[in-house]
Amino acid sequence: MAKSEMQNQVRRLRFEHGQMTQQQLADKVGVTRQTIIAIESGKYAPSLPLAFRIARTFGVSIEQVFQYNERET
Amino acid sequence: MNETKVGSWLYFFIGLACFLIPGGVAIFIAYDRGISFAPVFMFAGIVIWGGLFWLFPFIEKKVRKGKKKVSFDERDQLIHKRAVMVAYAVLWIYFVAACVIAWCIVGPHGSISVNVMPLTLLGGLVIFTLAQGLACLIQYGRGGKDGEK
Repeated sequence: MAKSEMQNQVRRLRFEHGQMTQQQLADKVGVTRQTIIAIESGKYAPSLPLAFRIARTFGVSIEQVFQYNERET
Repeated sequence: MNETKVGSWLYFFIGLACFLIPGGVAIFIAYDRGISFAPVFMFAGIVIWGGLFWLFPFIEKKVRKGKKKVSFDERDQLIHKRAVMVAYAVLWIYFVAACVIAWCIVGPHGSISVNVMPLTLLGGLVIFTLAQGLACLIQYGRGGKDGEK
């Protein structure tokens, strides 16, 4: 059975963008800090609009922020 | 702790109070004056507490109107949606149990007071609120999928 796994580079991108805090990113994309924490730790897969907002905040494409890996189990 | 989580705790405790306080009073009344008075007092108690419960969001909004930060987003919405689904399942089990237990107690040819019907509905409301609050808290607290770390 195939199991999907989302990976993301949000934490790395935050630090590359002037040590942006989780709260600053949350304010920019219009979510709570808890949601950013959940996304960074891979516990929450954001919606497509939110994923686009995050990517645009960092000025990169969505694929550079989120990666989708499918693995056989 | 975000505002939704605080709200869930408050809803949980108010829901619990809606059930426990009138229930305690009803048990006391049942011992003091007989079982026939108990449903009336329980009904009054739940209505009073339920009324205060529905006022709570308006009071909360007045207290927090100065804040402009995002306090409810898509993740909170998802958690709430799941909590409502869980609460609905609990409510359904409660109604089935209420029907089956009544049948078991009075038997197939027995009869029950019509007072039981509004009480069952009010009990359903309280149980729904309680289950929803609890499901929200579990999702926020466990740190699992979609949970807050």
